[in-house]
Amino acid sequence: MIITLTLGLLVVASALALIRLLIGPTLADRVIALDVVLVTLMSAIAVNAVREDTALPLGILVAIAIVAFAATVALTRYIESTHQS
Amino acid sequence: MNPIASTLMLSGAVLALIASLGLLRFSTPYARFHSAGKASPISFFLIATGVGFELGVAAGVQLAIASIALAITMPSSTHLLFRAVHRTTDSNSAAAGADGHAHDGPHGQATGTGEADTT
Repeated sequence: MIITLTLGLLVVASALALIRLLIGPTLADRVIALDVVLVTLMSAIAVNAVREDTALPLGILVAIAIVAFAATVALTRYIESTHQS
Repeated sequence: MNPIASTLMLSGAVLALIASLGLLRFSTPYARFHSAGKASPISFFLIATGVGFELGVAAGVQLAIASIALAITMPSSTHLLFRAVHRTTDSNSAAAGADGHAHDGPHGQATGTGEADTT
């Protein structure tokens, strides 16, 4: 019940961030929207682990955080090198 | 289910929704980064605390490691995005070159693109 409500709120949150990912006027807006989508995905994985009563998928969370950081660093280097926003 | 865990998870989900709403509704890129870069890691911290209350110690250690990784990476990536927007906006670079701000002494307006490779 509470878990279903929490997962629904997280789905709505990632849908709003995906709208910003689609309409974002600059490339940096799309990058931060992708970050927010990934953090919301991490939260949803944790809540789904409670729903299925297992601790197995929690190891993925560190990998998602580090991959999102690497993607953000690469894209900001790209933004700064091309000098266009 | 533990009421503390339910409250923490629900408040974390509400905070994630508020962060995405601010990301969608604010008007300038700085305000959008401000909304998204602060509220979304805190929402993950709240949800991780609730899940750790529910699943026990072994899951709590993994969630703590993930929270520490997010606490290190998310502010630095937000700072990199702020810096990229600040350097690539035309009004900022033109004003910094014309006014001669104190913080960009040797880096003038000519080194805006070439100084990216500092490895």
